[in-house]
Order: sequence, then C-alpha cells, then structure tokens
Amino acid sequence: MKTIHLSEDANTPQDQGGMLYVGQSLQKPDVAQKVTGQAVYTDDIDLPGLTEGRILHCPHAFARVKSIDTSKAEALPGVLAVLTHKDAPEERFSRSTMAEALPSFAYDGERQDQRILTDICRYRGDCVAAVVAEDIYIAEQALDLIEVEYELLDPIFDPFEAMKPGAVAVHDDVKNNVAFEMDHPFNVGDTKKAFEEADVVVEFSGVNSRQKHLHMETDSAIAHFDDNGRVTVISPSQGPHLGKKHLSERVFTDLEDGDIRWISPAIGGGFGARLALGLEPMAVLLAKATKRPVRVTSTREEDFNGYSSRTDQHQTVRLAAMKDGTVVGIEQHVISDAGAYLSHSATTSLVNMQKSLGLFRCDNVFGHVKVVYTNTPVTAGYRGYGNAEGAFIFQQATDILAEKLGMSPIELRSKNIRKEGEQSFFLPCKLEHTRLQECIDEGAKAFGWDEKFKGWDRDRSEGRFRRGVGMSILNHASGAGGFLLEHSSAIMKVQADGSANLVISPCEMGQGILGALAQVAAELSGVPYEKIRVVTGDTDVTLFDIGSHASRSMFVVGNAVANCARKINEIIRERAIPHFEKRQIKVDKDDLIVRGGEIFPEDRPDQAIPVGEVAHDEIYNFSEAGSQISAPGAYLSTSHHPNHQAAFAEVEVDTETGHVSVVKYLAAHDIGRTINPLLVESQMDGSAVQGLGFALKEDFVLDQKTGEVLNDTLLTYTVPTVMDVPEMEALMIEDPYEKGPLGAKGVGEAGVVNPAAAVANAIYDAIGVRVHSLPASPEKVLAMLQTDGQEMPSGASHVSGQRL
Amino acid sequence: MKMLATFTVNGREHDIVIEPHMVLADILRDQLRLTGTKRACSGGNCGACTVLVDGEPTCSCITLGVLARDKKIETVEGLAAAKGEFSALQSAFINNNAAQCGFCTSGMLMTAESLLRDNPRPTREEAKVAISGNICRCTGYVKIVDAIMDAAAEIQKAEDMAEEV
Repeated sequence: MKTIHLSEDANTPQDQGGMLYVGQSLQKPDVAQKVTGQAVYTDDIDLPGLTEGRILHCPHAFARVKSIDTSKAEALPGVLAVLTHKDAPEERFSRSTMAEALPSFAYDGERQDQRILTDICRYRGDCVAAVVAEDIYIAEQALDLIEVEYELLDPIFDPFEAMKPGAVAVHDDVKNNVAFEMDHPFNVGDTKKAFEEADVVVEFSGVNSRQKHLHMETDSAIAHFDDNGRVTVISPSQGPHLGKKHLSERVFTDLEDGDIRWISPAIGGGFGARLALGLEPMAVLLAKATKRPVRVTSTREEDFNGYSSRTDQHQTVRLAAMKDGTVVGIEQHVISDAGAYLSHSATTSLVNMQKSLGLFRCDNVFGHVKVVYTNTPVTAGYRGYGNAEGAFIFQQATDILAEKLGMSPIELRSKNIRKEGEQSFFLPCKLEHTRLQECIDEGAKAFGWDEKFKGWDRDRSEGRFRRGVGMSILNHASGAGGFLLEHSSAIMKVQADGSANLVISPCEMGQGILGALAQVAAELSGVPYEKIRVVTGDTDVTLFDIGSHASRSMFVVGNAVANCARKINEIIRERAIPHFEKRQIKVDKDDLIVRGGEIFPEDRPDQAIPVGEVAHDEIYNFSEAGSQISAPGAYLSTSHHPNHQAAFAEVEVDTETGHVSVVKYLAAHDIGRTINPLLVESQMDGSAVQGLGFALKEDFVLDQKTGEVLNDTLLTYTVPTVMDVPEMEALMIEDPYEKGPLGAKGVGEAGVVNPAAAVANAIYDAIGVRVHSLPASPEKVLAMLQTDGQEMPSGASHVSGQRL
Repeated sequence: MKMLATFTVNGREHDIVIEPHMVLADILRDQLRLTGTKRACSGGNCGACTVLVDGEPTCSCITLGVLARDKKIETVEGLAAAKGEFSALQSAFINNNAAQCGFCTSGMLMTAESLLRDNPRPTREEAKVAISGNICRCTGYVKIVDAIMDAAAEIQKAEDMAEEV
C-alpha cells in the first residue's frame, strides 16, 4: 500500500516528537488468539446445563399453518420443549434494530412485521416451530417428528407483480405489498424543469444481486436466565446495546433494557449481517420456556435460506447536463425487494439515495424509494449499506453521460463532485473535508489511466480477448451523524504497573478496530500500546453505543477514545508532580510530556519517570494513595464526515465464453489519517475482493415457481477464492481531518462499493455493451454480446437477473 | 450404537465413546473441546474445519470419526512449538495480519502447514493453489498468501543457518 501525504506533519520523525504508535503497522490485540485456535466464538462456549435449540423452517414459500402436532417430538427422550406460534409473543419486531436509533425526520417508521414463530409462513425458511433438547442429535431427531399441516397459498416472487392491484398480499395489512415508500428527505429544486432545459439527458436502469454476507461463522445465539429473572444473551452481534433495547421494547415487553446483558464474543465475520437480530430472540424465547441455558444454531443451508443478503434494488438513474458537462438535474428511483419482512431493506435503499444523490453538486435533485414485500428470503444491510447497489447504476449513468458529452470519465466527474466548503447533500451542513479529487488524480496516475483509456469511439470489434478500463467514485459515511444516535463513550483505567484497560463498545468482527483504537489511546494517553488491554463485548461493562457499522468506529468511537486518553494524560501529569518534587525537580503540569510509558519535563527528557510509578502509588502507597487513575471520554457526532474513494479497473473479456477477468484493480482512499497501515490495507484488500465477487460471481438464484433457493451451499453459491484475486493496489490519500481522532476518517466499508461499478464500466469499454444486472456472469455477458446488449433489457431482471 | 475409539490428537491419545454417525469435527470440538477447528459449512466446501489426518489435509466436518480412529490427527492447537512459541507459520500470519475474523484461519493454517511440509519452497502460485479450497470472506487472501511465503522463507533461513552450524 502506498501513501500520499498531502500535509507535512505525518513526516515528523519519532525522535523529534512525531507520533509513536499512530501510523505504525502494529499487531492487533486479538490476532494471536486467532492463529492458535484460542479465540472464543459463540459456538465454542459451553455452559453448565447448556441445551441445544433447533428450528423447524417452513418448506413452502407462502403457507398458513393449519395444525401442528408436536406430541411425538415431545415424547422423544431428551427433548425439553417444543414451541410453536402459540407459545411465542404476539408482539411483532423487525430484525433491524434501527427503529431505536433513527429520528423521524429522516425516516418515517420501520414496520415491525414479524413474530419469532409464525403461523403464516411468508418464505421458505420462515420459523414454524422450535425444539430444545439435551443434545443436538436429539434436537435434530425431534424436528423430524413435528407434524405440520399447511394450507398452501399462492406465493408472489416478483416485486413488480406484487405492486399491481389485486396482487396477493404477503402481509394482510399492507396494501399492494408496498412496505415502505418515501421521497428523499433532502430533495431540492425542480428536476422536471431541469430535465426540460438541459442540453443532454441520459437514463440507466438495472438491478443488483442479493449478495450473501457469508460470514464464515453461521448464526448462533445462547441465552440463559438467572434466578433473578435477568437474561444473558451471547451472540455474534455487531450492535448489542441496540439489540437489548429492541428486544425489551418490541418483543419481550416484560423485560426492561437493563434486564438483558448481552455478550458479543469473537465474531466470525459480520459485513452488516450481525447488525440485524439473528437467532437471539429465539434463544431468549427457548431459554425462558425451559429455564435452562439454550444455544440455537443454524446450518449453512439455513443461513442461505434465512435472513441476510443484500436487498435487490431495482433502480433508474436519470442525469441532466449542460453541454459543458455541468450536471443540472439528478433523479433516482429505487424499487427494492425486501423479501418477506422489511428488516434493513428500507434504510439501505434510503442510504443508497443519500450516497448516490450526494456525490455531485446539483441544484435539482429528486429521489424516491419504494420497498416491496415478496415471498422470498429476507434481505438486510450489507457492508456499504446501499452504496454499492447505487454506485453500480449511478456510475454507469455517469459514464453514459460522459460518452454523450464527449468528455472523459475523469473530466466529467472532476467537474461535478462536491468540493470542500460546498453544501453537502446529506444534512443541511457544509462538506467539511474531502480529498476525492486527489483520489481521482493520484489513482488515475498510479493506474496509468491516460494510457489505458482509449476514448469513447475506439474500435471494439477485434480479437477474442478484449480489454477495457473503467472507473468509479464514491462518498461514504464515517458514522451517520445527524441521522443516528451517533455517540459513544469509553473508559480508561491505569493499573499499578502502568498498564491500562481501555473499555470500548465496538464489536471486533475482524476489522481490527480494537487495535486501531488502542493505538489512538496509547498515542494520546502516553500509556504504551503493548500495555493497553482492550475490554469490549459485554453490555454490563461497555457504555452505550449503536454498534459497529457505517464505518463509524474509527471516527466516532475514536473520538471518544481520544477524549478519554487526553484526560488520562492530564491526570498522569497532575499526579506526577509530587514524584518530580521528591527528586528535587520543580515542574508544572503543562510542561510535562507523557509518552510511551514515561513522564518527563519537555526540556529534560533524561529526567523521565515511569507512568507505572505514579499509577502504583495512586493505588498502593498507604500514605499518598488517592484514587486509581481513570477517566471516561465521550463523543457525539452531529455532522456528516464522509470518506471518499476512486477506483480503477482493467478487465479482459473472453468473447467466446463471456468470462470476464479483472486484470488490475486500484483504489485510492481519502482516509484523513491512517492509524494502522497494515489494518487499513487489510480492509482495502478484503473489501475489494468482496466487491469483485459482487461484480462477477455471486448470485442468489431462486426458483421462480417455488421460491426455493437453488444455490444454498458454498459449492453452488460461488464466492471469490484465492484464484480469483487480481493484481490489486491500494493508495492512501492522507490529509488529517481536524474533527477526526488524530485526523482519521472511516475505511471499512468503502472498498466494497466501487468494484462492481468500475468493472461494469470497464466491460463496456471492452465490448461496448452495458451490464444491467449483477453479477456480470459469463452467460449474461455472452448473451449481451450475441444480441448486442438486447438480451438484458433494463429493469427486467428479477432476483439476480433470473429473467435473462 | 456406542463404541470406544482411540484418537491420537496432537500427539496425545484419547479414548472416547462415540457413535458411528459422529463426524471428526464434532468429536474434536464437542468431546475433546478442541474448538480451534471450526464448523462453517458442514459440507466439505469451505475448508474451515481442515485438520491433518496422517499428514493429509482433511475436512473434518465430512470425515466420520470411525474412519479417523488410530490415525495421527493434528489440529491448530498442536501447531505451536513446545514452550507455547508460535510456529513460523503462525508468526507469519500474525505479522501479516492474515487473520481478520479468524474463522477460516485454523483451516488455512493447517492447509498451509501441509503445503510447507510437502513443498518447503513453494512459488506464490503453488501457495495459491494449495489454499484454493479454503474460503476466506475477510482478507481477500492477499495477506494469507504473503504469510505463507514469509513462513517458507523463514523456515528456509532457519534450515540454512542450521546447515552452516
């Protein structure tokens, strides 16, 4: 990974007061446990008396349970309970917990639309009954003994059919299956007029696939009640604090928020899936019924048929521009297929619009979203949260406009992107920090764009293997300040040996955030990085925080940690004064530096005393002890702090097989400051490959007659393997942002946004046809080639382009 | 039908009561509590459960326990050297940040361990082919391949030094 520093301070050497930890590729705290097998995930936990819960899923896409006979299952020795909809709370909830964190101005309500166990099954996989048994083998056997009589209903799989008058209602109380509809809250100007008066108008439509998160750890949850009626939930959650609020508010109304303790151990991959509730409500229900600790697990096949994937968003983007390339109007219409329940599909659609519509400076902007129920598996929030879905359409529309205007893709984008100090589209606030232009320029240079892009008019008809290049740009969040409860709090305490505990709320799902936050804490407190032990993942210990998503942890939690570490630094300096006095050194608090575990007067580094000496005496010195050095720190983000990225892809299309291979992929990221280059590079690598999977391989195929998922194994749903990874390069454009912790902005999600859009643009450059549905799999590309693009009419694909 | 079976895991013999339907991954995890081996697909498609059986990388989630009786089984817990020091491969995974969520890591390590025993000087392409059956959703594989190549170089360096001595 190469870094381009746009400001001077990053280059100060350590021995001249430069930063000791920030900017270093330090080892993250949890990595050693992960190479020895010692890291503990939910399924690794054993509790005294732990029982196993398994779920009976409906085998029909739409059915009413006429009767259930559980007697044979209950009679099986070792079975503790068999529960059905009659035993589940009537209260409805959404798997999305965002209803607890959203203001009404941005979002007018998330339907709470499902029960833990249901008698109306709305997709193949809906939960009909659950078993608790002494072991998993008995639980499995018991599932087979439950007899259910179903009344089959006519399912509906097509969101466009579902919206027609008279269509079957997936939910009785939702007319025409429209679960959610909203104009974008920040629509401005008059797009109708702008489009009439523009010199050039273009339109592009298409749909993305339901990419599965495919966290390697399948879903599981443990729940157990103690004798006081308090329940502990253990699960791989990305947002346990909101989880417990949501569970107590919506489902188990006899519980208060504080009656739930939620533990998130090591998480085997999240990518947004764990932001939604998974098996936790079921585990609580079963633990309540049996008065025993229960673990509920799911198989990989159940995970595929269940409740987590991207939402397929059918979109049309229209752009209006003047001859000089000034974009004067933008319209975006999104129709999203939520599947059987709403979950995160409405909010991801809205966020798609925020990002897509906010990229270009424009006075006339209109966005509209509709989210539709169908009898298909439930969709959810996925890394990028709508942004990758939007970029796939918006960035192709942008290229179409560039071609029509005879401008290069870089020229058109550079002309229209919002610049620093200009109005932001997200909130009524200014865009305070952006280095997107530098990402475009430096990225293009490193990629060799000028040599590789041969212009719009080039001949594309020669040879079996045809190469092309494409680009895409994005803006993404560093937390959703103004939209969500963007506050976080941290606590730090110094032990008698000069080590410290840093108590923070983010859940570690592999992104390395615990290490990066500890680096910030070490830099600003003066306690050495290797002596900071991070504590997280237990709501009884950590402070409220809305979870690990929206690339918010580095920015929002990082600022809370920075505030906390600065206080620790100050307390250490205050309390060090008597220690210097004992040595006949007169110092003022403000003249002291705490750095790397030592305290010294700024002008006399040779007089250093260890932090441990001060910390020890505060606790253990009988005559002088005061109180353990500790401090809380908090941060509330009320504004919008986007990070940006520009990406460039070169592809080679085999015109005989339709196979597209990516030859090179380069992404330049506007990061503010890199806290840990190794961790950032790891995020860039991983997100790019996940994005390339979204672009070219990952499909989620439903049988259009039965609603059955046809590829529900890792053999048939193909994710990128090591053999699919192209030559990749990441470029960090560094220029510290004064509001970020030591200048940092977010990075985790952005990398997944550009690949599909850049690859689609590169495919067009190579063969002259546009990709309207993802993935751009060989059979689709071949069909496009053979019919000059006619085989993939816009908006005609349904759930991953099954209507090819 | 319960039966008594002997498993030699990481050099230690265990006599365990099993049933014929039990797979090796479940025996290792649920009975021996060696939970470093992960169940991720239970279909032999992702490699997260890879252990070495008589030196061969094997998907323990589709290997019946009865077939692994009396064989030499190695899991991730056996990789570290005697005093708890990391092996060259483990160190390389740490230094390259080749483990993100960590759920595929045990399987990756065991597959790579087998590669380096058979082919101590793999090319980058050979390292890629070796782990091409192991799925990782986090890393994009780059750091994993880097780590394997670093470990190979490290092992080679140690051997060269030993020869010189």
